Amino acid sequence: MNNPHHLNPTSLKSRFTTRFLRALTKIRAQKPISSSSPTEIFRRYRRIKVAADKSMAYSVRSRRIWSRAMLWKLRSRSYRRQDPCSGRRSGKTNQAIMKKSSNENTTTRREDGVGFVEEADELRQLVPGGETMNLCNLLDETAHYIKCLTTQVQLFSPIGKG
Amino acid sequence: MQPCSREMQAMNSLLSPTQQIPLQDLQPNGNSGTHQAQIHNPQFDPTSSHDDFLDQMLSTLPSCPWSDLKSPWDPPKSDETPPSNHDNNVGFHYDEILASKLRQHQINGGGGGTTAAMKMMMQQQMMLPGRLIAAAGGGGLTMPLHNDIVDGSSFKSPNQQGGEGSVQALYNGFGAGSLHGTNNQSPNQPQHFHHPQGGNMQTQSFGATAGTVMNQSQASGSTTGGAPAQLKQRVRARRGQATDPHSIAERLRRERIAERMKALQELVPNANKTDKASMLDEIIDYVKFLQLQVKVLSMSRLGGAAAVAPLVADMPSEGGDCVQTTAGGGGSLQRNSNGNQPSANNDSLTVTEHQVAKLMEEDMGSAMQYLQGKGLCLMPISLATAISTATCHSRNPMINKGSSSNHPLLQSNGDGPSSPSMSVLTVQSATMGNGGLDGSAKDAASVSKP
Repeated sequence: MNNPHHLNPTSLKSRFTTRFLRALTKIRAQKPISSSSPTEIFRRYRRIKVAADKSMAYSVRSRRIWSRAMLWKLRSRSYRRQDPCSGRRSGKTNQAIMKKSSNENTTTRREDGVGFVEEADELRQLVPGGETMNLCNLLDETAHYIKCLTTQVQLFSPIGKG
Repeated sequence: MQPCSREMQAMNSLLSPTQQIPLQDLQPNGNSGTHQAQIHNPQFDPTSSHDDFLDQMLSTLPSCPWSDLKSPWDPPKSDETPPSNHDNNVGFHYDEILASKLRQHQINGGGGGTTAAMKMMMQQQMMLPGRLIAAAGGGGLTMPLHNDIVDGSSFKSPNQQGGEGSVQALYNGFGAGSLHGTNNQSPNQPQHFHHPQGGNMQTQSFGATAGTVMNQSQASGSTTGGAPAQLKQRVRARRGQATDPHSIAERLRRERIAERMKALQELVPNANKTDKASMLDEIIDYVKFLQLQVKVLSMSRLGGAAAVAPLVADMPSEGGDCVQTTAGGGGSLQRNSNGNQPSANNDSLTVTEHQVAKLMEEDMGSAMQYLQGKGLCLMPISLATAISTATCHSRNPMINKGSSSNHPLLQSNGDGPSSPSMSVLTVQSATMGNGGLDGSAKDAASVSKP
């Protein structure tokens, strides 16, 4: 497919596209499209979605909190799948850390004079890794996350037509 | 930033070697405590150390030839001096430099509380000779605001260096002590700075010999700062000019948040809301919409035949991150932002439909909004079939929302094996391609523009 969008070889779009296409081809190589049972479809969907998320997160690297959180989740999930023992361990640490951060959040409650607590909490649930951010960083991460999501959408739409 | 004429004349008279202002004349003018923008005279408090300082200052004045003062400056100075009423005995050309540097510093570093003080400082310093001021102007120019004589002692060491370095260190020392919020002194600051600054500048320009004089001037300045402040009551800082570090931090934080909200507003369409809360709601809805879009697109275009419709109906609501394999068919994938959480049942779909039905009974608008939030729209069946046949002939057949057919209200959406869902998705993807759900449904038998 031709890429009229990719004017800058190092932009987020191009990085994401290359990674995602690589992942896609790998998935396509793994499984033929013949399967039509819902289970297979869902599995395939999940793999694709994971690939999309992973490629997006990797193209952002660790420069953003949400990408770090997403990468961490992906890694912990893959570890969990491979090795149940390590999964348990990582699950525990995962839960411990998440609980700790959520406890901190709930106790501090982020009521720092701006007054957008409900919306901020909802946004925190939407943006990966948002539980551990104060409002300022949360808005920043949201902006970048929105940018990445729009990039993904833009790149997805021409793919299906071809 | 033009210096007050009266101040100019006062300072000029002070500086001119021909005149000697007796200290007694100056004393009654001290501590008028008036508005900060108006300084009629140098504020000389009747303190003994002050007297000593003044005496020394005035005594050293005639000793230093004015030519020395002029020498740092280039000969053609008169044209550069600010027009008004400068005494051209000494070229005040550095005023320009100083003013620009002060302004720069003011813009860069000045907190709100010191803005007025710094303005006054600028005015005052523009009157004073000494190119050293220009050098110091680049450094910290925030003035000390507090009563104690800490600054006085701290200046001892830099003062002994003499020359430009000492002035700069002096100013840095000033800057260190400046923001120790004394709100009640904000009206008084300029008055007190006027004199210490005047004294400092002059003595500094006279070289290292002014070291001791500097100390005394600092002490006197600090003490002058102390006495009148106690006389005044605590004045509430004006809005936007608080010098309390907490409020400054709060203000900075609020500004950062506001600036980020503005950036987000540009990203999110429909950013015509001025209210921050509604803007946040809009942002949240947009993020949900984008996540849904990615999900749908990845499924419909990349995943092949998939249960896209149930996907579409899902709302990312749950937190947590548990991985469940999808056993059994026809399930709906519940995706949330935190991870992949498929659950194999149709409940979410029917729940959505029930909710939409309920909403539609009460208020059509909210029902439409709800659907829109989910990325759905209602359309007449005929149009849906037309669209689907027109655009999706090459696509894989999609699994419809099987459970929706038993619901009367959503008949338009759930009718038929594949077309409505496909039409919904088609519309969705088409509108997505056009950059958003601008063609979303408007009424019950609504038509969405592809």
